[in-house]
Amino acid sequence: MNQFFAIAANTFKETIRDRILGVIVVFALIMIAGGLWLGSISLGQQGRMMKDFGLTAVTVFGLIVAVFVAASLLHKEVEKRTVFVLFSKPVSRSSFIAGKFLGLCGTMAIVLAGMGLFLFGVVLVVDGSPSWMIVLAVLMIYVQLLAVMAVTIFFSTITSAILASVLGICVFVAGQLSENVLSLSRLGKNTLTQALSWVVYIVVPNLSAVDVKAGVVGEQTLAWGQLALWTGYLLAYVVVVLAFGVLVFRRKEF
Amino acid sequence: MTPGHALRLQELRKTVRVGVRRRPVDILNGVDLSVDPNDVFGLLGPNGAGKTTTVKIALGLMRPTSGSVTLGVSGLSLVGYLPENAYFYDYLSGREFLGLCARLFSLDREERSTRVDRLLKDVGLMQAADVHLRKYSKGMLQRVGIAQALVNDPELVLLDEPMTGLDPVGRVEVKRIIEDLHERGKTVLFNSHILSDVHELCTRIAIMREGRVAWQGTVAEAMDGAATLEDFFLRVVTA
Repeated sequence: MNQFFAIAANTFKETIRDRILGVIVVFALIMIAGGLWLGSISLGQQGRMMKDFGLTAVTVFGLIVAVFVAASLLHKEVEKRTVFVLFSKPVSRSSFIAGKFLGLCGTMAIVLAGMGLFLFGVVLVVDGSPSWMIVLAVLMIYVQLLAVMAVTIFFSTITSAILASVLGICVFVAGQLSENVLSLSRLGKNTLTQALSWVVYIVVPNLSAVDVKAGVVGEQTLAWGQLALWTGYLLAYVVVVLAFGVLVFRRKEF
Repeated sequence: MTPGHALRLQELRKTVRVGVRRRPVDILNGVDLSVDPNDVFGLLGPNGAGKTTTVKIALGLMRPTSGSVTLGVSGLSLVGYLPENAYFYDYLSGREFLGLCARLFSLDREERSTRVDRLLKDVGLMQAADVHLRKYSKGMLQRVGIAQALVNDPELVLLDEPMTGLDPVGRVEVKRIIEDLHERGKTVLFNSHILSDVHELCTRIAIMREGRVAWQGTVAEAMDGAATLEDFFLRVVTA
């Protein structure tokens, strides 16, 4: 366990001290603040516009950080040959992968908390009252990104960092649509299409199930029980995907 | 350390597949090597002879195609390793990096702090302890690399080209560290191209050529009938 927490702490330091991360976060904050202007040109919908635009900005910039950092974590260790130092010590491959993931979870929590707090503050100024649903929405974005990070780390064990990033983004997009794909296939009569849709639905994480942006802007009532269930599903998905990552990474030689 | 060998490699073979056609290339062709406890063992050979691969297999960083590795110590917790041209986490200070390495050996906080301070002093980096590694010179990185290899007070120390990038003062310090390890009963195996250092430090040597051990014995045996260790080395690798 000591090795696991040591690697997690080191990964947190590595990612949080990365200057590019700071640049991305600053850019995200500028984008969120840009929502003020967008709100000002919408008739009487400034608060709603602000929340919608702000949460989209948090998702997009969170995704950029999650995918690009997760994809490079393992490759950096291999390319810079720091794996020699780690694996010549009593460090298991599973502690390494799990520690890397936990460290990145810490960084993502800080990044999303920063962006979420800023959005919360801006909406408070615009609306004059706090919107606590923003906190829930950011938390759910975090849960979605945990799944994307785990998938990207898995891809980075079998392919290059760039391809892993691209695949991570693809999984995020597919995860927003997987439920729709299944619903559409049910309308048709083709059994092969239906079977394929089920495979996609099982393999790709159903990220849209925990997307509460519509609930935050008042377009949808939240089903709390469903939300808790789907959160549990995504966390289990993370564990399974990381376990596959460990299996692949165990076979690697340096 | 258990009685017997500190490290024993038997019939070690390694074949890798390269290129689109996955053409097999033999890197090791049956390496037999035994390092006794308290040896300072020099592993010599021209570039591409298989020295680094041998060390990596001994540590489990690579898997042998066939053959066996027997460590005389109980697992990697009593082994120290300095990789060739080592690169470390440049966003950490020397103290943080050594602290991380100590933590990987599950040392408690107090023990970590004591060992890290002692090692920083031993390798002459106390002044730069809190400077990020990205600002270290090559020689300083080599020294912090040696310090991380010793952070667990290992019984068996494997050093891959430990003198690389060091100035004469750094080389003297590393030699002093190796001599000190020998005096404390530790076993050291190091790869080097600097034969004068090998002559000065080693009790036994092995010379590798084309993926196998072409000769192994004591330095005195090597020098028997040869003017210098360089002469003997050239004779073995060109035979």
